[in-house]
Amino acid sequence: MLGLIHNELLVIAGRWRSYIGFIGISILMPLILWGFSVGGEELHRDYARELGGTFMIVGSILNSFLATYIIMNTLWIHIPFLVTLAAGDSVAADGANGIFRITLTRSVSRFKILVSKLMASYIYTALLLIFCAFWSLGIGSIVLGTGDLIVIDNGILILDESQAWVRMAFSFLLAILVMCMVATLCFMFSTMTNNAVGPIIGTIFLIIIGYMIMSIPLEIFEKIEPYVFVKYFNVWWDAFKDPIPWGEIGKKLGVLGAYSVTCFGVATYVFLKKDIKT
Amino acid sequence: MILETKNLTKSFGLRKAVDGLNLEIPDGSVYGFLGPNGSGKSTTIRMMTALISPDEGEVFIQGKSVQKLGNKALSSVGALIERADFHKHLSGETNLEMLARMDGTDMSRVQTVLDRTGLGNRGKDKVKTYSQGMKQRLGIAQALLSNPRLLILDEPTNGLDPQGMKDVRDLVRELASEGITIFISSHLLDEVQKICSHVAMISQGKLKTAGPIEDLLKDSDLLMTEIHVNPLAPAIELLSNQDWIHRCEENNGILSVGISHDKMSDLVQLLVQNDLQVSAVIPRTSLEDVFLSKVGKENQI
Repeated sequence: MLGLIHNELLVIAGRWRSYIGFIGISILMPLILWGFSVGGEELHRDYARELGGTFMIVGSILNSFLATYIIMNTLWIHIPFLVTLAAGDSVAADGANGIFRITLTRSVSRFKILVSKLMASYIYTALLLIFCAFWSLGIGSIVLGTGDLIVIDNGILILDESQAWVRMAFSFLLAILVMCMVATLCFMFSTMTNNAVGPIIGTIFLIIIGYMIMSIPLEIFEKIEPYVFVKYFNVWWDAFKDPIPWGEIGKKLGVLGAYSVTCFGVATYVFLKKDIKT
Repeated sequence: MILETKNLTKSFGLRKAVDGLNLEIPDGSVYGFLGPNGSGKSTTIRMMTALISPDEGEVFIQGKSVQKLGNKALSSVGALIERADFHKHLSGETNLEMLARMDGTDMSRVQTVLDRTGLGNRGKDKVKTYSQGMKQRLGIAQALLSNPRLLILDEPTNGLDPQGMKDVRDLVRELASEGITIFISSHLLDEVQKICSHVAMISQGKLKTAGPIEDLLKDSDLLMTEIHVNPLAPAIELLSNQDWIHRCEENNGILSVGISHDKMSDLVQLLVQNDLQVSAVIPRTSLEDVFLSKVGKENQI
């Protein structure tokens, strides 16, 4: 299995499309960090206004942790899009390029090949988020410095620097798991077509539909909401709550996990039954 | 039998692509698989190699059912299905290493098969720099990678120039001499006749005939006969008006006539009786003639 995953990673590494996400992050992050460093005063003022009556603020609230906390909001739609670039290609591209005529005639089970492709997509997803963390936390620390993280969300939580590092790492870990669910959804679509664009559009479309259901205040949508996977994307926010709501995190990951297992189950059924005609 | 199909059937929508196909491929043979475009050759081969599931029937490789065991049954098979497609952005060598890694083949085989297919010095180049002929050779290299006992080649000479076709032919002969069974589909009848010991012909998904080529040529209802006759024009006119003569064509001053075996003497007698000088009568039935008699002219390859 490791050999198969190695193969899939070689394929992902060889496709230029795989680097779009990394290039995008490398362009976007310096821009955002630069924006924070030169225009962060306004943000600082807003925070100070919120906290001024209660706390005495010494120094700057704006640091790499706060910047990362804000940047992580890109997880709602931007990062999912970048994740789908590899997952969408995963199965569909091999079908379109005729690679399956070579690989699926060997004495290796289709299931193993499918699992290795999914694992490689997960590794790509994790690397993408780690790269994002490297920029926002690593380079961000150099540009904006570090300090306490102040989170305003149903109250005020102040995390000292050592705690902030741990919570950030935990939050990124949760974000990776969320994005792996997105990758699995896209992967499922990838088994159904021989065109990589379809799975990407399908996945982003479902995410947008999910956000719409969540944001439109209609009774019917409120009933559907618990079944919309997008509702549980915010699990990474729970890393910044005190105390950490482990039960809530477990529930959200459970729902996302169930979606992932279902998507993989469908992908397996489709792929094992698939006639290779290309 | 190293490869057998039993009642193999596959439909796409309302169209039956393969219809109750029974084939028996003897161990050590070079087996040609012939049929016009759309006759079901590729679908059959894809069912043999687990790419397509049959609606009915089974494929057995060394007695193991491909449909029951899936890809496990393909452990002794090397296959090249139609055009050889690889990861173009990777080198030929890396592509083969990936395939070797998939089924646990020894990595030393990579260089061996690259050398064998004449790609030894181009292995490190990216596949996108390869010509069509080189890609096809790389396709054969990957089929040979796991030291197969049975090689399944679907139109391996497609897109190759005459030299490339000859190279593939020579390689097939060489592999056959080493005892590898080769099942090869082609629409080039002449090529099949040159390299195959056995042949099966299908049309509209159904088996028309199968067996050793020598037997098929011998048993053919149609005897193609080359006749050196003078003068030519009246001979053509005369023979074309006989309903027992199936074909009458002129090629470079020589008449090629298709008749039943028992009509040979009638043919000569007819020509002589009409004051035409017959200097030679040479039986020359080819695989193409057998094909045309079995599959019909409307399905010409």
